[in-house]
Amino acid sequence: MVFAAKSAESRAADPETTACLRKSRATRIGIVPTAAAAALTLWSGALLSGALWTSGARAEAVRLPILAPTSGILALEGASQRDGALLALKHAPKGVTVERLVLDTGSSPQRAVQAFEKAVRGLLPVAISAPIFGPEMLAIMPLAKERKVPLVTISGTAKITELGNPYVFRFFPGDAVVKTAQARYTVENLKRRKVALIYQTTAYGQSGRRHLRANFAKLGAKIVLDEGLSPRVKDMTPVLLKLRRAGADVLVLQLHSGPTALIVKQAVGLKLGLPIVAGSAMHQPSTAALLDPAALKGVCAESGSSPISGGGARMRAFATAFRARFGRAPDAFAAAQYDAVTMVLQAVANGARTAAAVRSALAGGRHDGIAMTYKSDGKGNMAHDAVIVCYDGKTRLPAIVKRYHNVDGAL
Amino acid sequence: MEIGQLFLNALVLGASYALVALGFVLVLNATAAVNFAHGDLVMAGGMLAVALSAVLPLDTGVPGLLVLPLVLLAMAGAGLLFSLVAYFPLRRGPPVSVFISTIAVGIMLQHGIKALMGPAEQVAPPLIAGPRLEFAGLVASRQALATLVVAALLIGGTALLLARTQFGRRLRASAQDPEMARAIGVRVPVMIAASFALGTALAGAAGLLFANSYFVSPGSGGNLMIKAYIAVTIGGWGSAPGALAGALMIAFFEVGVAAWLSSPVAEAALYGALLLTLVLRPQGLFGEPAGRRV
Repeated sequence: MVFAAKSAESRAADPETTACLRKSRATRIGIVPTAAAAALTLWSGALLSGALWTSGARAEAVRLPILAPTSGILALEGASQRDGALLALKHAPKGVTVERLVLDTGSSPQRAVQAFEKAVRGLLPVAISAPIFGPEMLAIMPLAKERKVPLVTISGTAKITELGNPYVFRFFPGDAVVKTAQARYTVENLKRRKVALIYQTTAYGQSGRRHLRANFAKLGAKIVLDEGLSPRVKDMTPVLLKLRRAGADVLVLQLHSGPTALIVKQAVGLKLGLPIVAGSAMHQPSTAALLDPAALKGVCAESGSSPISGGGARMRAFATAFRARFGRAPDAFAAAQYDAVTMVLQAVANGARTAAAVRSALAGGRHDGIAMTYKSDGKGNMAHDAVIVCYDGKTRLPAIVKRYHNVDGAL
Repeated sequence: MEIGQLFLNALVLGASYALVALGFVLVLNATAAVNFAHGDLVMAGGMLAVALSAVLPLDTGVPGLLVLPLVLLAMAGAGLLFSLVAYFPLRRGPPVSVFISTIAVGIMLQHGIKALMGPAEQVAPPLIAGPRLEFAGLVASRQALATLVVAALLIGGTALLLARTQFGRRLRASAQDPEMARAIGVRVPVMIAASFALGTALAGAAGLLFANSYFVSPGSGGNLMIKAYIAVTIGGWGSAPGALAGALMIAFFEVGVAAWLSSPVAEAALYGALLLTLVLRPQGLFGEPAGRRV
């Protein structure tokens, strides 16, 4: 296996990136007088509606609220999602002004519903940047259908596009795509057929488990251990000893960020010596940061993309701009939500000024994003590519080792 | 050999839980009210260790041991401050005021730390760095063994402080009968503040231990608070030895029952044991020498 990833920082001198940053600085300078007016608008708007709105020229602005779980169990992923959306708003096409509302959904369906109600109060938004957390999506989807407002999300929960709701658009490859890639890489590339499948007992974990089981069955691999873990579990030794006893030759994970790092760390501690093919949590820089680089040797993960592993000039420019704005490296969730919001903004720039027009543009259009090309499969699944990244045990920078294009044949 | 490994792991986990539970019970006895922010104070100790490790030159073999005294001191100060903000202004009001105020301060801690350090999980430095040790087929990190030693020293030191010093006797007197303690000249408010300082310092130490072995995030305090509550309920409301026994029991459920059956079953079994204790022995395994349930 060749790991050819270069340091993302070393690409900061890229002309496109530099231009992007220069434009960003110019925008900041030019926006100072407008900011004073915006502050007044914010103040009066907050007084009138009780919400934290920011805007430019309010009369011409469209509304695109950002709902993300920035506290609770999915706070990390939610923060990535929020920041990807915020960066897309910052890079909005010329002539498009957006009123923004950022609300924390707290990794709670109840709070997500409250946030949704606040978001649709008054003038209907053209779309809502909707939460990554599957249970929150399932709670607000009927409301979005009732209010006829499109939701652009990166939730991986398979069910959200299986309910026939025409207002849901998913920009991160769903489990039908990424779990296929994860299973195929395990069997076809690593040649492993005795699988220990460890999943989270949350909706996210259950959804991934269902797809992984189906894919492994199709590929002729045997699941020798299939066990759920609560996100609260601290000691993973019991399950690691079980899978050793079961004779597994690969460990396949469908866990959130912290538990993923914990089980990798403890597997190394027990000298398990098995390859690990993890879910998308393991591609996140913040997950890798919890582990010594040596502990990551032989660890791979599925993802929609991997901004820190390189890519085209636009992806590099995105990664540089994200670092400059938020002081940390972006992950695939940030990139996907950036693409989702950018597609909405481009639809607005092309004349779609209402929720119905934006919904039509999302349902029938095609968008060449920084991570991949997006097009609806008729059910709202916009993303159809996946990547497998692996760590070499020397750095925390994963390399893309396999790309899967158009996995579900929708493009 | 698997049983030995599981026993060792449960002991290490239980030692960290025991520090959490001991800090919780010290404040409980001093104030007769539940400090619902205790889990968040554990989290704050872990985050403080993470922050200190980023600014201090810790290129030694014992980075966590160097940070530990600073965490203990800073968290003792935080405990004093906490008592001034969340307890003393409300102590003459209805008991519900105190536990609502501790919930409020806990939430403020969570959000404040998230704003400062972000929502991501963080890892603190190990008490002792270095490769893992193997003996008789068992594998243990130096951190795991150091956790056992540090927890034993802190728990033993607290027991000695309470049992063998004039200060400890005053603390216990204030907790057991504040009126009588006041009558014989003990400054009860000072003892209550000292209990907050000591309990929060222990919470901080537990945070440091957890933050290396199991990571820490702004949201991780809630679960630890529940564990402390269960430990104290099973062990006996207000009993320090009971809290330690309860903490170890939780760890053995989480590791032992999970190995035998599965982790969701282990969690359900733990709550089943809690219910059984409440029905069959409401005073807990070690009785109920002081305090009342809130």
